[in-house]
Amino acid sequence: MSSIELDNVGREAKAAIGAEYRRGLAAALPVMVGFIPFALVLGAQAVQKGLGTIEVPLMTGLNFGGGSEFAAVDLWTSPPHVALIVAITFLVNSRHLLMGAALAPFLSHMPKRKVMPALFFMCDESWAMGLADARPRSALSMPYFLGVGMGLWGCWIVFTAIGAAIGPMIGDVEAYGFDMAFPAVLLVLLRGMWTGVRGSRPWIVSLATAALVYLTIPGAWYVAAGALAGTVSAWLFAEQP
Amino acid sequence: MMDIATVTTILMMASVTYLTRVLGYVALRGRTLGYRATAVMEAAPGCVLISVMGPDFVSDEPASLIALAITLAAATRFSVLPTVLIGVASAGVLRYWLG
Repeated sequence: MSSIELDNVGREAKAAIGAEYRRGLAAALPVMVGFIPFALVLGAQAVQKGLGTIEVPLMTGLNFGGGSEFAAVDLWTSPPHVALIVAITFLVNSRHLLMGAALAPFLSHMPKRKVMPALFFMCDESWAMGLADARPRSALSMPYFLGVGMGLWGCWIVFTAIGAAIGPMIGDVEAYGFDMAFPAVLLVLLRGMWTGVRGSRPWIVSLATAALVYLTIPGAWYVAAGALAGTVSAWLFAEQP
Repeated sequence: MMDIATVTTILMMASVTYLTRVLGYVALRGRTLGYRATAVMEAAPGCVLISVMGPDFVSDEPASLIALAITLAAATRFSVLPTVLIGVASAGVLRYWLG
């Protein structure tokens, strides 16, 4: 092969990667719309609790985990109880352990050094979308995953920063129904994972546990409790093939 | 102006969160799972997503619950964008009507 042909191959491969990245970005757009009200509310709440307008995007950009950030802001004091907030952050995000494990079989074609930095962009939505996209081809399309994840990440930073800057001016976003965007996205993602009533029994256990814990125990424990109860039930429900 | 205690807390939050993101992958890479572990891995994604939504299902506002039911119905037949629009519109309208 001449160097010109090799060059063409390289260019085609790059174009394919770019197309996959843009496909991810485009797929993430509806989810970004769903992120905006949450981001604005989080930014506004954080400033009320005493975080600075620079500190808010610092937190949302470096941590990039909405649930844990809402929990942290909820518990924030000045000065903050570092150990408490870090422990709650870990617990709320402990679901990532299961998520990373579920993604692992679809990453076996990639070297660890490439996967490790990319996993920074794994949030509930980028993971679910990446996984749904990976299942038919048995391998994760990394540029697609990064397109989704980076799009959501950028949106989260920008709108939490805007929320922090215009905090006192925002009214009640719930009144307009924008908060329903988030469950709407999650429900569509769930439908994509539906394999029948049998397969969804652990989901019911998770939902019931999460709802019960939410009603009885203050804080963000319900996510960890629901995820744990559901996965334990999946273990118990499992039948030998 | 940035506060040292705040920045420290943020950096520690970011570190433990990143740890949760890579730990599952690192620990389970290249392992063959038994049928029970496979069942757990198959169910885990849905369990996590539905747990995040737990509070929405036990809202004390009737308007939000009806809107959630409409959104759920929409999610069974439409793609993401129409479902989001139906969800947001139904929640907005129902809250306006039902207070």
